[in-house]
Amino acid sequence: MKPLVRLLAVALASLAVAAPALASKDVVFAVASTFTTTDPYDANDTLSQAMAKSFYEGLFGFDRNMKLIPVLAEGYTASPDGLVYTIKLRHGVKFQDGTDFNAEAVKVNFDRVTNPDNKLKRYGLYKIIAKTEAVDDFTVRVTLKEPFSAFINDLAHPSGVMISPAALAKWGSKDIAFHPVGTGPFKFVEWRQPDYLKVEKWDGYWKKGYPKVDSITWKPVVDNNSRAALMQTGEAQFTFPVPYELAQVLKAKPDLELVAAPSIVLRYLSMNTLQKPFDDVRVREAIAYAINKEALAKVAFSGYAVPADGVVPDAVEYSVKLGPWPYDVAKAKKLLTEAGYPNGFETELWSAYNYSTAQKVAQFLQQQLQQVGIRTRITMLEAGQRVQKVESWPDPKTAPVRLYYVGWSSSTGEADWALRPLLASESWPPVLFNTAYYRNDQVDADIKGALATTDKVEKAKLYRDAQERIWKDAPWAPLVTEELLSAHNRRLTGVYVMPDASFNFTDIDLR
Amino acid sequence: MTQYVLKRLAGLVPTLFAIGVLVFLFVHLLPGDPARLAAGPDATPETVALVRKDLGLDRPIAQQFVRFADGALHWNFGRSLSTKRAVAEEIAERFMPTFWLTVWSMAWSVVFGMAIGIASAVWRNRWPDRLGMTLAVSGISFPAFALGMVLMQVFAVDLGWVPAVGNDSWRGYVLPSLTLGAAVAAIMARFTRSSFVDILGEDFVRTARAKGLDERRVVIKHAMRNALIPVVTMMGLQFGFLLGGSIVVEKVFNWPGLGRLLVDAVDMRDYPVIQALVLLFSLEFIVINLAVDVLYGLINPAIRYR
Repeated sequence: MKPLVRLLAVALASLAVAAPALASKDVVFAVASTFTTTDPYDANDTLSQAMAKSFYEGLFGFDRNMKLIPVLAEGYTASPDGLVYTIKLRHGVKFQDGTDFNAEAVKVNFDRVTNPDNKLKRYGLYKIIAKTEAVDDFTVRVTLKEPFSAFINDLAHPSGVMISPAALAKWGSKDIAFHPVGTGPFKFVEWRQPDYLKVEKWDGYWKKGYPKVDSITWKPVVDNNSRAALMQTGEAQFTFPVPYELAQVLKAKPDLELVAAPSIVLRYLSMNTLQKPFDDVRVREAIAYAINKEALAKVAFSGYAVPADGVVPDAVEYSVKLGPWPYDVAKAKKLLTEAGYPNGFETELWSAYNYSTAQKVAQFLQQQLQQVGIRTRITMLEAGQRVQKVESWPDPKTAPVRLYYVGWSSSTGEADWALRPLLASESWPPVLFNTAYYRNDQVDADIKGALATTDKVEKAKLYRDAQERIWKDAPWAPLVTEELLSAHNRRLTGVYVMPDASFNFTDIDLR
Repeated sequence: MTQYVLKRLAGLVPTLFAIGVLVFLFVHLLPGDPARLAAGPDATPETVALVRKDLGLDRPIAQQFVRFADGALHWNFGRSLSTKRAVAEEIAERFMPTFWLTVWSMAWSVVFGMAIGIASAVWRNRWPDRLGMTLAVSGISFPAFALGMVLMQVFAVDLGWVPAVGNDSWRGYVLPSLTLGAAVAAIMARFTRSSFVDILGEDFVRTARAKGLDERRVVIKHAMRNALIPVVTMMGLQFGFLLGGSIVVEKVFNWPGLGRLLVDAVDMRDYPVIQALVLLFSLEFIVINLAVDVLYGLINPAIRYR
């Protein structure tokens, strides 16, 4: 029946020579959760920000390998003291409502996010900006409160987009989320909250010839199996994430392609260095030695992960390769004996997540630690518990966290955001996520120093020193770097999952 | 009768108020800070404070309760903490998909469940009974998520007869309503059977048979009216449960309904949405129970209301 219909359609199409009857190219993306907002400045999830790239663009961005590229900017210069950034803007760009993109628009956007009265969730990323001035139509001067060398990376973060000032004035800072207007390749059509969000090709896009498809429908499908089913029935052409369990099933389908992409998601086991026995570096090293990371990648991640070879994942700028940490049970036992725990000890093992992969990881860790005599009680924390017991625990001295399995993705693609929130002593909970309560004054100084300098060589040197010190102090047992599994129909090209789990679909096309 | 209904409706007010108070307290006792959750994993304390203020969570709890109660009196349940849209709007959008799914599931499961139940009772311990009860036990024991996945694999992926997800046409309703209705049909079948078996042994049935009525008339006219009372009670309960939105089925078939809304809301500690949903579910149950009580009188005129 179906081939017959297709044949008929082809026949009809070939008859109608007069009409340039190109079939419209409509693409459906099946994604894992509902969008929280279309306003990237008010979003904390990667997915909402990835979706917003349909209609928004920033001054800078990342290509699919997480390399910084100019988008609406043509280039920038930083003053030697690292305080003033002068950014040149692209000419001839229009917003989807027909207004011009210019320096004034940049100022409006930065002024909006840096004003705490607007209560935007990404305020923290941009509060470093002291003032923004439009020098002329296509030159912007941004002055920072203090030197912050990762500033351009902040601008390339998917939240740093340009919203039409006219639309902002029309809808207001809150309601703009329901009426997004940007400079991107697609314009917003409709958002039916639980069901889908649809965007269609915008003819006035500055990059001529793009986009190559007519519409994208972003469809949140929560259940893993259902997402896989949608790919098989052809109801969707692209899906992310593909759960490890389903990788084999989708791989076997001839019209689908399964892609494993490198990520900057590092999984590690943090140890509370303020508490016995984890205050002893030998105990921490022993734990790192006791875990077989290769086997962990195979068992829990079905092989779609690689042992972590440093404190900062490879794809992040200024990362240093230091490992992987070897697996050596004998050495672990020896270190424990030296530290005074020949028979091991009992402790808590918490997982920051409760989905099935995390459960497998926790059980695997428990079993590995058991081999060297460390007996653990596993608790899988649900989001609310995690916030209460770990992330917002007020007093470091009484924090109940001990061994803590967690992960981090440095969304600015730069070492600062991979180190400072997790390992600087200023970042102990409840401020940020230094769940190891790690403090090394030299590391603190390195991180601070690297932010203050704009000299890349100097920065690399400081970050190298910090990472080496951290590796030696072992506040974490680094585990694995995940791979990101996505699947797409073979007719679809140009859609990539980036190392930060965001999407790049500049070149999207459907054959 | 009208008086009875009015009296019952008046009784609603204190019940709902009590539920409101309980829900409010319960929700605020849940561990986890909604501001922190909304602000996201890499938010700074300043950002969390901004979000807290934005959500009105920095006020004393008593003040928050007064705001909630006052709003609820005016049918205003505030704004969702995660999407910032009006809670009423959020719920309204999800209510109809859940409602229609419930109606379709109930419709087929009541018809099939009762047919199987009556057949099993009439031919008790013979093959129709055995077959019917095997089906019913399977229906109860087979978990909905597994059934949903199997149905989807067979009818959407392999055969391609219906879409895997989506509620834009009647074809999208087929699989979820089958999945959702399976357990209900099974429960209905067992209830109908046991109720009929009891009734068929009663004196008045024997009398009816003795006066020479044919068996079909005995079963459908005389036995049915009496046997239906517990069945209708069960039906009402099941209807109430389904209206709450099935979490499992809505997840598997990506149904934009109330069940998923509730799960998302609990995950994000979205207080206003949880409160409004629990109130709505309570209200639904009360109204359905009332409807069931009224139905008793229609089925069996011997029942009187006071």
